[in-house]
Amino acid sequence: MVQFTFIQPDGTRNTVYATPGMSVMETAQHNGIGGIIAECGGSMACATCHAYFDADTIAKIGASEGNEHEMLDFAATPRSEHSRLSCQVEVSEVLEGAEITIPDSQV
Amino acid sequence: MTENPQTRAAAGCPMEQASETFRPFEHQGMYEFLASVRGDVPIFFAPEIDYWVVTRRADIEKIMPDADRFSAELATQPVFPWPDSVGRYLEGRNFSNEAVQVACDPPRHTRIKKSAAQFLNIRQFMSYEDAIRDLVRGYIERMRGQEEIDLVEALTYELPAQVVFLLLGVTDFDPKKIKAWGDLRLHMIWGDPNEHDLDTAARDLADFWDYTVDLVEARKVSPQDDYPSKLLALRDGDDAVLTENEIKSLIFGLLIAGHETTTNAAGNLLLELLRRPNQWQAIVDDPSRAKNAVEEGLRYVTSVVAWRRQTKEPVTVSGIDLPKGAKVLLSLASANRDPAKFDEPEMFDIRRKNAQEHMAFGRGLHHCAGAPLARLELRIILEELTTAFPEMALVDDQSINFTRTLSFRGPNQILVRPCG
Ligand code: HEM
Ligand code: FES
Repeated sequence: MVQFTFIQPDGTRNTVYATPGMSVMETAQHNGIGGIIAECGGSMACATCHAYFDADTIAKIGASEGNEHEMLDFAATPRSEHSRLSCQVEVSEVLEGAEITIPDSQV
Repeated sequence: MTENPQTRAAAGCPMEQASETFRPFEHQGMYEFLASVRGDVPIFFAPEIDYWVVTRRADIEKIMPDADRFSAELATQPVFPWPDSVGRYLEGRNFSNEAVQVACDPPRHTRIKKSAAQFLNIRQFMSYEDAIRDLVRGYIERMRGQEEIDLVEALTYELPAQVVFLLLGVTDFDPKKIKAWGDLRLHMIWGDPNEHDLDTAARDLADFWDYTVDLVEARKVSPQDDYPSKLLALRDGDDAVLTENEIKSLIFGLLIAGHETTTNAAGNLLLELLRRPNQWQAIVDDPSRAKNAVEEGLRYVTSVVAWRRQTKEPVTVSGIDLPKGAKVLLSLASANRDPAKFDEPEMFDIRRKNAQEHMAFGRGLHHCAGAPLARLELRIILEELTTAFPEMALVDDQSINFTRTLSFRGPNQILVRPCG
């Protein structure tokens, strides 16, 4: 299991144990974390699973690329260099201790 | 463990009762029915239409994105097959519309979606905000000074069609044609039309196809900043990206996808709000509440109450074995009031925290490509109406009627007194 933390726009923190191989989006949904709406269920069509990853983590997992990079332009809350679509980030050891901030709005 | 539906039916169980009670085209009483069966009956057969109806959110959430096992190809096929004469007529009119989005499966869907999403996305839609607001204000100006109006006729019927035409780069579309072309279109596919209606509908459909073809041809000659021009540019003469007929079909499909869906969503939302003057007042007092009110409207009274899939292999849904080829009707209306997701689901509350977790726009690869646009339109309608007519009130003792279709629900008329 890998442990990381979701931070809500109001600062509320939820630390979860995640299963490697699942996506961060699935982990959020599995743990009832609000704010990761994920309307398209992970098929990269909605950009409602947008989240900001802390700088260290982004350095480790890499910035968004390709279709994901294009889709982030369409997120309801403006992207930053820390933005990823959480459905495209797979849980693995490198996420240990990560802090994942949920944007103000997804729709 | 799986159960044999016949054995259950023979036992006179709730599943059989649901089969007998369900009225697929009747919206009056639909929610009460769903609430009464959801607990015991996650799935039942509807003989009138030959579909399995799925009632629980957890199942629907799994089925919709599962393109490997559930095909979307039947999504826009007529519920009751048309007589050959309709097909012959349409052929004679060179009606060559083909399935391009909501009714096709990967890999075709994936290829086409890639292009469509270059235009149908939240950024693009937001660029129309001012234009949409101007349109809404125009309708509102025409309501002023009237004692009683029908909100559907005065605003919500036309507006979403005009917005689709904005995307198509058309700003001078004749509103009378919107009505003529729209009236029977949905009924023809999702209703139970008689032959006369079918003939008229087929003619309207072919007329609209001709309009689409002319529009795309015109954009080929002189491109503009709009959806057809964008698709033509992406195609750049390459059939492997998109064919010309696919582009025409995408344009044709957009009006069907974006018109009555949104008309009905607006009607449903306004009706529920006006039935609860304190919630209307809450938006008057603080228009920033409009956004969540839109979400609660989409949850509580969605305009697309049910959507279809067909099994590509034998599957088991909540213990019931379905063969390959089984037709499945996913009750989004039911999913949106599933107590497993929403506390006090039968209550309409614009302050509901997780309202936006509704399934009004489907789920998975086909998730509504116009969702951000629909949300924008609905929010602007609410903001502008509550500002212009804070005292608006429903006319007493009116009966609310819904057109009989399998998938679409919205009031045909909402009589209001704009100034209370
Ligand atoms: C409140 C209004 C609307 C509702 C409730 C709605 C609902 C839906 C639903 C249920 C689907 C099918 C989802 C699935 O199969 O999983 C869908 C697909 C679609 N909708 Fe909407 N819709 C609305 C407004 C619009 C608007 C305004 C547009 C565009 C102008 C639009 C364009 C589309 C398109 C293009 C698809 C097909 C997406 C695909 O298959 O990739 N919709 N919509
Ligand atoms: S869930 Fe839709 S893009 Fe990630």
